[in-house]
Amino acid sequence: MAHSEHIVASFDRDLEGIQAQIMRMGGLVEDAIAKATQALELRDVELAREVRANDAAIDALEEQVNDEAARIIAQRQPIASDLRTVLTVFRVSTNLERIGDYAKNIAKRTETIIDQPPVNGTGASLRRMARQVELMLKDALDAYIQRDAALAADVRARDIDVDQMYSALFREYLTFMMEDPRNITTCMHLHFMAKNIERMGDHVTSIAEQVIYLVTGDMPDEDRPKQDRTPHDAGVTK
Amino acid sequence: MNDMRLTERGVETKQIKMKARGVEVFYGDTHAIKSVDVDIEDHTVTAFIGPSGCGKSTFLRCLNRMNDTIDICRVTGDIHLDGEDIYDPRIDPVQLRAKVGMVFQKPNPFPKSIYDNVAYGPKIHGLARTKAELDEIVEKSLRRAAIWNEVKDRLDAPGTGLSGGQQQRLCIARAVATGPEVLLMDEPCSALDPIATAQVEELIDELRQSYSVVIVTHSMQQAARVSQKTAFFHLGTLVEFGETSKIFTNPEDPRTESYITGRIG
Repeated sequence: MAHSEHIVASFDRDLEGIQAQIMRMGGLVEDAIAKATQALELRDVELAREVRANDAAIDALEEQVNDEAARIIAQRQPIASDLRTVLTVFRVSTNLERIGDYAKNIAKRTETIIDQPPVNGTGASLRRMARQVELMLKDALDAYIQRDAALAADVRARDIDVDQMYSALFREYLTFMMEDPRNITTCMHLHFMAKNIERMGDHVTSIAEQVIYLVTGDMPDEDRPKQDRTPHDAGVTK
Repeated sequence: MNDMRLTERGVETKQIKMKARGVEVFYGDTHAIKSVDVDIEDHTVTAFIGPSGCGKSTFLRCLNRMNDTIDICRVTGDIHLDGEDIYDPRIDPVQLRAKVGMVFQKPNPFPKSIYDNVAYGPKIHGLARTKAELDEIVEKSLRRAAIWNEVKDRLDAPGTGLSGGQQQRLCIARAVATGPEVLLMDEPCSALDPIATAQVEELIDELRQSYSVVIVTHSMQQAARVSQKTAFFHLGTLVEFGETSKIFTNPEDPRTESYITGRIG
């Protein structure tokens, strides 16, 4: 195993440094997911604003970690597992940054619909869905740090639950909108939020795949179960 | 949040250890170095890179007046060590070289014991009054050079019997023994295998805590790995000098870019 230290100790410090930044970014992103959906459920505008404001820190970290990873490639010429470590840092930071953007978008929409009458129970189900993604993200980052391909494969398999939740919400919002056109504005926003969370799940899945690549050297095959049926859904409740 | 450097590589002081201004070197009629200005910072590894014949070694050798030993070589301009002109006629070059030590391309231990290789400098400079003091300097220097554990049981064995990598670290111990402030290294790893090279590079990073290190290397990768500052020489001029991280990710001069990316040489 290539886990022992490099002869040049500062190379180890460089690699640990960028991975620590990824974990810091991950922490901020987990926080953003939780707070964005909490703000929605509790109709808390202040919290939504906080999520929007905090996204700048995530973006800044992404830039920093990418600069540092580029410097490491230029100065250390990493190869084998070291090269994979640096490459995955680039990709994982991009995934995390995107997830942060989705959380920010949820916060923005929350501020928009705050004055509309609430649609029954939707905040809670979105939060459950987000909670699922947040747990997947936490496990994906644990798998990353522990180089645990099995845990990463498990995360990857769990995305199906998120897809199913999204499909259910898609039909639910459709039903609300058909029942009462006054729900349309809110439900359109809610639907985009659900879609945002579904997309977060895809990015977490991509992080999990990066972990598998990091550990094994191969990307997993594209045979992951998918459950987003909405592209085929005409919207008519039978 | 503002720490752009993620690792503890930060340079503690930005103090200028050596300052070169308008340095010109001639070998007979050949103009080898053309008006070079460089600041060598304390506690920093500065790498000189450039194609063969670009003048990087020549310039390095100006820093401890090694060029004095070449009859046809003439150096003009100012080079200061801690504000003192090293070409001042009152400066004794031998004393200067104790302060500005040098390690060469091929490990060149004296045909003497490991102990005597290290003890030689301190002896001629009168740095130790007793045998115990000398023993201490030898041990400290060998530890500094990260070779103590490998040789402590055979200090009487000839230095030439060590492996290439060990010989080079022995030469570093020898250079360190006179208590220098600056260490000049001319291609210190070009005769070593990759593992011995990595050991010397790790050693260079450690030596930076105590000294200012200037290294000439043919290997751009090595310059990138070990240095904080890089100077690119081409045809006797200093083309670009700056942060290593900048030079190797986004150099300013197109000639630097062409050289480090393998387009000219």
